[in-house]
Amino acid sequence: MLVAEGLTRELPGDPPVTLVAGADLAIEPGKFTAIVGPSGCGKSSLLYLLGLIDRPTAGRLLLERRDVSPLSGDERARTRLERFGFVFQFHFLLPEFNALENVMMPIRRLGRLSLAQAEARARELLGFMGLAGKAEKSPDKLSGGERQRVAIARALANDPLLVLGDEPTGNLDSVNSARVVDLFRSLAHEQGRAVVCVTHDPGIAEVADIRVSMLDGRISEVRRQG
Amino acid sequence: MFPRLRLLVHIAAKHLLVRRRQTAVAVSGVAVGVGFFLAVSAMMVGSQTDFVKTLIDAAPHIIVSDELRSPRPQPGVAAFAKEGAVELHGFKVRTEVRGIKDWQEMLREIDAIPGAIASPSLSGAVTMRLGGRDEALAVIGIDPSIESRVSTISDKLRTGRLIDLERVQGGVIIGEDQAQRLGLGMGDVVSATSARGGTRSLRIVGLFKKGQQVGSGVGYMLLREAQSLLGRPFVINRIGVKLADPYSAEDVAARLEARHGYKAQSWQERSADFLGLLVTRNVIMYTVVSAILLVASFGIYTAVSNSVTDKKRDIAIMRSMGFSQGDLQAVFVMEGMALAVAGVFAGWLLGYVLMSVLGSLNFSIQGEVRHLPLDRSSRQYLIAASASLVAGIVAAWLPARKTARVDPVDILRGAV
Repeated sequence: MLVAEGLTRELPGDPPVTLVAGADLAIEPGKFTAIVGPSGCGKSSLLYLLGLIDRPTAGRLLLERRDVSPLSGDERARTRLERFGFVFQFHFLLPEFNALENVMMPIRRLGRLSLAQAEARARELLGFMGLAGKAEKSPDKLSGGERQRVAIARALANDPLLVLGDEPTGNLDSVNSARVVDLFRSLAHEQGRAVVCVTHDPGIAEVADIRVSMLDGRISEVRRQG
Repeated sequence: MFPRLRLLVHIAAKHLLVRRRQTAVAVSGVAVGVGFFLAVSAMMVGSQTDFVKTLIDAAPHIIVSDELRSPRPQPGVAAFAKEGAVELHGFKVRTEVRGIKDWQEMLREIDAIPGAIASPSLSGAVTMRLGGRDEALAVIGIDPSIESRVSTISDKLRTGRLIDLERVQGGVIIGEDQAQRLGLGMGDVVSATSARGGTRSLRIVGLFKKGQQVGSGVGYMLLREAQSLLGRPFVINRIGVKLADPYSAEDVAARLEARHGYKAQSWQERSADFLGLLVTRNVIMYTVVSAILLVASFGIYTAVSNSVTDKKRDIAIMRSMGFSQGDLQAVFVMEGMALAVAGVFAGWLLGYVLMSVLGSLNFSIQGEVRHLPLDRSSRQYLIAASASLVAGIVAAWLPARKTARVDPVDILRGAV
């Protein structure tokens, strides 16, 4: 579904700093892919390249066999809006809006649903995350685990093909972590989405279908598990 | 397009409502700017209108006099023009009788203009003699019923009425300061002598107020009696014209002068120096009040700039969600617009209150209670609003461009 061919990201400078060097990787639907490696190995940089947030300096990125690296900023934004959902280490909810409004944000921006339909969809997602009773709460009234689940609901708002997580459990206790991991697995296995997670957490790495190890900006190993 | 706009407006509104104090400061900045713009320009424009009105009404809109802007060509020059004479010397200059020759025809022509009134008059110098004292007096002979419709001299009378000139044989109206100097009062008789006429007894039937341009050294008489006193029967040397539209005076004057040759002076020509001053005054006024509005928009700049800086994280997260750069710039520009619009409405209110306060002030000038002349037309409100909106949008747009420089990668990785 999403294929990286020699994906490279360098920071300009003297000498230039290479964040990701010649990464070849195929992200598949229905699979939970974990990217692991020591700090500073470039795993987050690779995730941002895959998620069209950052631009590669070399190589190609094919989304359903179409090269998306030369797209304009607005076209990349549109692709993120329609196809991708992000979950970060920090929940990154907009503090002025309650949980429901945060989840509705991408749906409203896409503009395919009416306001009432968007609200119904957001409530459904919050219900799926076990947060049906907290829809009207503002983010600072929610616990860490609840916030992260609101963030996941927001990532799923436009029914994305690809869900990208950057240390999504990095700030959670073990109970909430396990819950998020289960959720991510079910997104892949039951809903057929492609799920990619950057993680330090060996627990996540172990349950992933595909485990991508990185070292010094290069992919050192791709292992299919289970 | 519409749901997207609604979403962006929703976000902008939330930003403003969360930062209430900064919003209030920016709005009141614009409000004060707009309010004082309105108050100052109302006074400036109002006083100018008042001043121009005084200028227009001070004298007839057009004064046709028996002067020529250049001498008439001498008959000799005209006679030899065909033979190619360029210059002639030694001919006798024909003596012209002073006065406007075809004045009856001219009056008819002016009266044909809708709303125009022409008042013929004759002026000349006489000497008033009383108890061995001589006092010069410029006598103006008028037709009171017409003159009162052309000029405002009847408003300048302290006592008596213009129409009294017709009722009293040899009636004259002079300035009250001059009357005081001569020790004369209402109903007193004074003798006047002209160079070509004779001596007549004049009876004072009215007095002009002190300090008026018209009153000093000028005496108004009946046209017929002035003609006889000055020894110039049936002659007039001045036509005052009042027009329905004072601003057409220049054109009408030019037309009359082209047709008849006599100097026809419009009020604009007469007061070109004052009108020039008004232009300078307007430039100064609009410079100052524009500066007020500009300074007010700095508040918007600060508010939006702070908002962008504070919201860097939210900008990054919205970008990752799929909002475009244009969306985020629009959010912040709309915040500026909302501040400007709210400021304009508050400023209108403030301006209205300021104008009401200024309008209620009483000033006493020479014993007369006067109010400040204020221009309260909606034009001023619209100028203030549009200038503030433009300044506000620019002031918001400048910092809103910063959203483009927010790199989501930097923020999302490093943020706390």
